[in-house]
Amino acid sequence: MTNRERAMNILHYKDADRMPAVHFGYWGELLTEWAEQGKIPAHLAEHNYDGNEKDRELDKLIGWDFNWSCTAGAHMGLKPGFEHKEIEVLPDGSRRVQNGDGLIERIKPGATSIPSEDDYLLKDREAFETLYRPKMQFSPDRVNVEYFKTFNETRDVSRPIGLNLGSVLGSIRNMTSVVGMSYLLYDEDEDLFADIVDTFAEMQYKCVETILETGAKFDFAHYWEDICFKNGPLLSPGVFDELCAKHYKKRNDLCHKYGIDVISLDCDGVTEKLLPTWFENGVNTMFPIEIGVWGDQFEPARQKYGKGMLGVGGMDKTALRKDKAAVDKEIERLKRLASMGGFIPCPDHRLMPGTKFELVQYYADEIKKIKI
Amino acid sequence: MSILIEISENVQNGKMKAVKELVNTALEQGISANEILNTGLSAGMTLIGERFKTGDVYVPEVLVAARAMNAGVQILKPLLTEEGAAAKGKVCIGTVQGDMHDIGKNLVKMMMEGKGLEVVDLGTDVAPETFVKTAIEQNCQVICCSALLTTTREVMAEVVKEAEKQGVRDTIRIMVGGAPLSDEYCKQIGADCYCADAASAADAAVDLCK
Repeated sequence: MTNRERAMNILHYKDADRMPAVHFGYWGELLTEWAEQGKIPAHLAEHNYDGNEKDRELDKLIGWDFNWSCTAGAHMGLKPGFEHKEIEVLPDGSRRVQNGDGLIERIKPGATSIPSEDDYLLKDREAFETLYRPKMQFSPDRVNVEYFKTFNETRDVSRPIGLNLGSVLGSIRNMTSVVGMSYLLYDEDEDLFADIVDTFAEMQYKCVETILETGAKFDFAHYWEDICFKNGPLLSPGVFDELCAKHYKKRNDLCHKYGIDVISLDCDGVTEKLLPTWFENGVNTMFPIEIGVWGDQFEPARQKYGKGMLGVGGMDKTALRKDKAAVDKEIERLKRLASMGGFIPCPDHRLMPGTKFELVQYYADEIKKIKI
Repeated sequence: MSILIEISENVQNGKMKAVKELVNTALEQGISANEILNTGLSAGMTLIGERFKTGDVYVPEVLVAARAMNAGVQILKPLLTEEGAAAKGKVCIGTVQGDMHDIGKNLVKMMMEGKGLEVVDLGTDVAPETFVKTAIEQNCQVICCSALLTTTREVMAEVVKEAEKQGVRDTIRIMVGGAPLSDEYCKQIGADCYCADAASAADAAVDLCK
């Protein structure tokens, strides 16, 4: 069986010879750490992205079968993006930089986490109409039609590849920051935020439609949102539903029409309260189910929504910083989840600094021993 | 309806413009700045905090309420100084070294200010020495440390050690919070208090300042 067959059979409750060893990539700092420890060649620590050649080379070295977050798609962001430029250097050495989304970030040397969000351009109706709406329009050059016309013949058939469905709200949050999104949600112009969401979603729909019309076939489709945190959603589930449900439905109905029945969504944090909007509108695969840091869970979702709710993720990646006993304990828990069917274990987010290389190899070997 | 209740309700609804207008009207009616702050603005923010704790409202509602409250506070500030209104305590807050995330930290700060605490915001990527030095120099009763990452939460243990080293561990309380934190981890590193959400953190800080 290929890993593609294994994965898709499991997600369709069919037989598979074993569980595939699936992952979700790494923090850049971890790859640097491993290279410095001599665990991996230095070149694999640079420009290593989900599913690219280096990622696949590292898969072989570790024993992974594939990275789930491996998709093909269109240019679904702002086009053209804003100019990347340095706004100022602060006395502490940190730099204020405008990124392609028009967000002003503060980047501090030595701080390993993502930059902090300092300011943003999308503040009002005028900014939307003049700066953003023109960049949110569909144009044919967003899709490499020639690539997708030959996709079925040129793709790697040994592993699953997803269709990138973009993001209904997460990308907009990237443009505004959480603070800006909050202010826009309660702007005096009450229609403004919905207008932004609708405009962006319509462009993304057309991108997806254009790809599917080429005849390209995908194993699954995939969203990215990141709209939850430790205590649940970053906004009211009611507001989220009102703004986003129709867009998920429209995009997912299109996928169904083209035979894609596994639709996953990458959302960090505790996702429980947004699951109704996603599940009722066609998203049926939770990913990466962050149990370790945030306490998200797959089992309650399966109990609530039944076998129609699938999962990829849910392995507490912090065990990979500890010892074999912690990994063994985690594998025992995952065996139970896997026995329910429709679930593929995968570390619950990118592996972080301090993760032990040998433990990752051990985990990848052991997970393959799970029989379906 | 009392104008103070109206101020509170507009804070809860995040109506910044209305809050500004109402605060000015209340002052014209001869209500003291302290009264407007406590019974109007802070009361509204406290109620939003309670609703946030129970999951009735979410981050956006808290942020717009805080923005509305702060707009009112800015009008009152010079008058509060004249009236000699004292803060309920003083806290220094920051995201620990190596971590640039500040949404959670800012939410806690807003809630604390809403509770009448004076908050020294040290920003993000704050070294353990800076937390302790600031708390000593500015007479803060509480140090409040935030982290989003499992890798950076370990810095919080260094803050505790630094407070011990400087001989202030018994006089300055240390609170911790953020995604990878738990009560268990708080106890493990010897900090005083872990809170699961911003509103609880503000309540706890008021208690620790007493």
